[in-house]
Amino acid sequence: MSRLEAKKPPLFTSKPLTRDAVSQSLSLLSGVLKSSYGPAGRLKQLHNGVGGCVCATSQSSALLGHLSVSQPVLRVLTASVRNHVSRFSDCGLFTAILCCGFIENFRSLNVAPFTVIQISKHLLSLCMDHLKSEACGCRVSVDFSSLETLVCLVRSILTSKPACMLNKTEVDHLTSLVLKAFVFTVPCHVETNAVLGKCVVIPVKGRRVVDSAVLPGLLIEVPEIQLGKPLPVKRTGSNVIKIALFSVSMSGDGSNPEEGTIVVHHGVSLEVSELNQLLSMGQQLVKDEVGLVLCQKVMHPSLKQYLKENGVVAVDRAGLSLMEPLRRVTGSQPIASIHSLSPGCYGSLKDLCIESFASKHFLHLIPEDTVICSLILCNRSETAWDELKRVCETAEHVLQLTVKEPLALLGGGCTETHLASYIRHKSSSLPASTFKDLGCSQTQYQLVADGFCRSLETVARSLSHDGEEVLTDMVYGHCWLVPSGSPCASKWSDLVSKCSCGVNDNTEDLSWSFLEGQSSTPILQGCPKEPSVKVADLRTLDCFAAKCSGLQVALETANLILDLSYIIEDQN
Amino acid sequence: MAFRDVNARRHIGLQQLSTLASTGRTFLGPMKSHKFIVDEITNQSTLICSAVRLIESLDLTSAVGQLLNETIQAQNKEFKTGMSTLLFLVGAWSNAVVECLQQNIPVPAIVSVMSEGLNSCCGRVQCLQIPIHDVKKELCSSRVRPKALESKTGQVGRHDLKNSWNLLCFQTDISATEEVIPINSCSHQGHDCNFNKFLVSPLAGFGSVASVVKAVGDKSSPTLSGSGVTAPSCIAQKLTHSRHFSTLGKSPFASQQGNFQGHLSGPAADLCGLGRLAVALSHGNQTSVKLLQSIAAYQQGRAECSGSSQVNLAEIVTCSVLGLPESYSCVSPGFVTLVSPEQATVIKHFADKPLRILLVDGDLTEEYRHLGFNRPPNVRTILEHPNPQGGGAGDAWPSRMSDVLMSFEVNLVLVKGNVCKNFMERCLASRILVIGCVARAVLCAFGSATGAQAVTYLSQLNTSCIGNRAWAELWKTGDGRAVDLGERLPARISAGGIPLLTAVLTTALPSKAQLLEDQFWTLLYRLHHALKDGKVFPGGGAVELLCLSHIQALAEQPERPGNAKELPSPWLAGCKSIVLQALASGWKRYLCVLLCNTATVSSELEAGAAVDHHLQKAAACGSPSAYILEEFRRGGVLRGGSEPFPGRVTDLKVCDNVVAKTEAWRRALDLVLLVLQTDAEIITGPRRNQILNSPVSSEFMFL
Repeated sequence: MSRLEAKKPPLFTSKPLTRDAVSQSLSLLSGVLKSSYGPAGRLKQLHNGVGGCVCATSQSSALLGHLSVSQPVLRVLTASVRNHVSRFSDCGLFTAILCCGFIENFRSLNVAPFTVIQISKHLLSLCMDHLKSEACGCRVSVDFSSLETLVCLVRSILTSKPACMLNKTEVDHLTSLVLKAFVFTVPCHVETNAVLGKCVVIPVKGRRVVDSAVLPGLLIEVPEIQLGKPLPVKRTGSNVIKIALFSVSMSGDGSNPEEGTIVVHHGVSLEVSELNQLLSMGQQLVKDEVGLVLCQKVMHPSLKQYLKENGVVAVDRAGLSLMEPLRRVTGSQPIASIHSLSPGCYGSLKDLCIESFASKHFLHLIPEDTVICSLILCNRSETAWDELKRVCETAEHVLQLTVKEPLALLGGGCTETHLASYIRHKSSSLPASTFKDLGCSQTQYQLVADGFCRSLETVARSLSHDGEEVLTDMVYGHCWLVPSGSPCASKWSDLVSKCSCGVNDNTEDLSWSFLEGQSSTPILQGCPKEPSVKVADLRTLDCFAAKCSGLQVALETANLILDLSYIIEDQN
Repeated sequence: MAFRDVNARRHIGLQQLSTLASTGRTFLGPMKSHKFIVDEITNQSTLICSAVRLIESLDLTSAVGQLLNETIQAQNKEFKTGMSTLLFLVGAWSNAVVECLQQNIPVPAIVSVMSEGLNSCCGRVQCLQIPIHDVKKELCSSRVRPKALESKTGQVGRHDLKNSWNLLCFQTDISATEEVIPINSCSHQGHDCNFNKFLVSPLAGFGSVASVVKAVGDKSSPTLSGSGVTAPSCIAQKLTHSRHFSTLGKSPFASQQGNFQGHLSGPAADLCGLGRLAVALSHGNQTSVKLLQSIAAYQQGRAECSGSSQVNLAEIVTCSVLGLPESYSCVSPGFVTLVSPEQATVIKHFADKPLRILLVDGDLTEEYRHLGFNRPPNVRTILEHPNPQGGGAGDAWPSRMSDVLMSFEVNLVLVKGNVCKNFMERCLASRILVIGCVARAVLCAFGSATGAQAVTYLSQLNTSCIGNRAWAELWKTGDGRAVDLGERLPARISAGGIPLLTAVLTTALPSKAQLLEDQFWTLLYRLHHALKDGKVFPGGGAVELLCLSHIQALAEQPERPGNAKELPSPWLAGCKSIVLQALASGWKRYLCVLLCNTATVSSELEAGAAVDHHLQKAAACGSPSAYILEEFRRGGVLRGGSEPFPGRVTDLKVCDNVVAKTEAWRRALDLVLLVLQTDAEIITGPRRNQILNSPVSSEFMFL
């Protein structure tokens, strides 16, 4: 007899953004994210409170991945930021802080949400057009024929997360490794559609960062290989090593997850018949002159023994994440069945050798021509290694995004303040027809534009964590930080030496002013000027594609949240 | 999600770190105080004497505690040394950083100045590094003048035996050496018993009867016969290089120097150096030194073939034997393990017979399947014709398997995992020795020595898997006695040319077993890393003293004018000086506690004064590094005034590992800076609801 329980009615919340609980949670989340932003950002210790491992991080992917958010409004926000991060790796905190800023600034305006959305979309299009125009003063083109801009881009990413615990030498070493790895992933012979390769991170925890290295090809950890003995690899007639790559389990357990029961007679052993099947396939592999058998999952010890006795190197437990790189390195088709082998599924390798790092041994797969490389990444502690891995992967991804669109944005908050001053200038000089098209008054437009700019400036101000004053100048619209505890001075130029991105210095009078949150910043007379960029001066750069996407995602998410009138929660 | 601000006024995280670290204060230096860790619930207690074991025994559920544990474990895994230094500096530096915070110094300034300061120090102390091949000479030139020796020998009686027994032992050796010179100059052979007793293991202590050569020189391992010769040669070299005897100069012994050196060909000299290096790295841990010297001798002998000069850690295992005095500890070639009396009977039966050996890299039970084998859940077996005779099905597997072993004439099975009890009994009855829970390294060593190939299942057996010419015997002590300790007996399994060595650690106190093992591995790792680095640091606070003087110089040095891009801010320059002083205070506290722990000064205040005194002298000398090296050559850096420390092995140079030490510093500082830069703790998962309903919920914010 089944017990029936009356269904609870769904919970209805109207105008969620006006609720105290929601705005409290929103400002808490925004506080957590703002305090983590930038190279001086504070770390958060994430743990389960009962002795589980501790993650010290200031990275959006780790922070948002671990947070369990109960407010539906915040869940919308975190979900779209995480989606952005999964596509671009970079600018996650920027997106989240900007989105929170948009919500906070737009919510307090006495303008109907629909109108706010219309105006803010127009403002976004102004921003995007400016960023894509040649005259944009906050972007630089990336020259792939010289290293300087690339080094700056990678260094900015590596130094943006303090939990990696890197000193200067280590940053330099890793920067060169990341760039080297990137170069390995670019194909030598480009046909019509070039596909970039992949850099596989190999963990070696507990060692010094400077012990890290990059190798072309793939490394697979092999626990049981004995050192000192040369690898007895069989080669085919054309002096290559033939590879068979299995994605199916070869453990001999006949893993069939289907439902139903198999009935066997006493004395019949399924194990033995499975094993015989495996061994007959082993015979086929030996006959086909295969030199290396790789298996994603587990291989039966008897099969391994058989292959070894016949001079075939057998490696199992490669893991799912290595399958795609393995397929690309060897050019083989993963075999998903132990019953049939087609001759076309084999791949090949130029050479195979053993490498040792720290106390680990690796099988080094060396192909003829490859876009796959291995970054052996070392860091002293588990926590710092995890952070460093995410940072290095971000840097690789950013380089790949940049090669598609060779542009970068000035970092250190300069892009944000520059965009804000551009929008302030632009919105004050729009023709009346624009307001008519948008269905709003000029005052409404100005209010929303001001909120938009303040949100952008909030991001720049989030870079200050120790009481530094944040300034902006009236000529280029860049961002300047004055260290806390600086003495009083009659001239701003005595306090600031260079803007955050390093492009401008204090030689000319740029009429600085505070970048205050509440009081509106004075509007520039003209369009913010485009500074002459000397690459050697550049201190920090941001990924163009990731930041553009972040800007769009932040605004669209904020608009979506502003537009929410009801939340309906199923309570069953 | 629960969220807690950890940075409210005083940094909670740093305070936690400092509290946790303060527990390890007494582990600094060679005179470590033991600690009892008592479990309040079970009333069980553990004897510990190292930072790792301490941290392991503490209940560390806080985030900071977890991070500290992770840091200590990482250092332990890599170096097995430097954990006490790490723990201490974590405490000292977190205190110093809290003080910086109270002076309103911005966090990024603390982080960058401290990490650059440490980097600069690590670069500066490189000039103190002593190359390994110099260590031999360095350590050989024991600059003890005859007068000094006499005066110290005279002191012996005045000292409390307990406090100064290191010194006592060493001096006994010196005086003994003096007496035996004539014999030595006549002949090496035939007197090695005397020599070994006093010289090969000069620090072996009073109770030491088992000499190194005897312990290793097993009759059945002919590879070791050479060590009986190298040992006395080693002594000869030590004496020829001794300044003490050099000052005696014109003695007949000195005139024969050339002869002795001619006798010492390369490897013997190297071995000698390794032995001395081991003593220098031992920091006064006598028991392990002689074990290490044996290991070095054995592996050097083998290395002549392979050409490597490193200590191979993978070829060494340990075996704790309870119930024998510590002086019986020794190194045996092959694999020594404890066996049951039944297994011992089988071993006795083997006598000297060469054995056919099988290696199994899983469990030997009927149910065992290799890792990754999932038993299909949906298989049902039906029995159509029940057989009334097949009742003893449980018995079938052991008998079938032992039949397999017998058909291949296997005598010895080493199993990585567990062994089914029935199967074990059946094998013993058929005189097949099965030993379970054998480490992977042991299986590998036997694999390479006997040609055996490890299998997972006995069904995999074929003739090529089985190795030959292994043998087993009951382990005997250095003086040839068999050991009968009742329940478990030590047995030795070996094979011709096996690279494996077992350090048999004997102790009469069961609570010390773990401690001895830890100490042995620590010393072995120190030697390994010293050889790997190719250089060592002078010990006894020399490096830290140079760091102190270097930081002082850095703090006083004005901001370089060449750095015009940065704005000259007197306030920031002041910050820099304060932060550098904070960094220096860590090492200063380290030196003070080191002095206090060696009981050479009565208070930390006095220790601080002593350190300052040396700093001044170093600064006055012009080149602090030259001063420190010279002081080290004279017998120790932080000697209090003119009087050498009583109770410390001052004549013996103490050395430290280079990378292990600097890495310990770096890890300690990294941890402190990581915690410093943390402003919030975020608790995820189900604990959130518990916190929500608990009294501390007001400390948290919830998302």
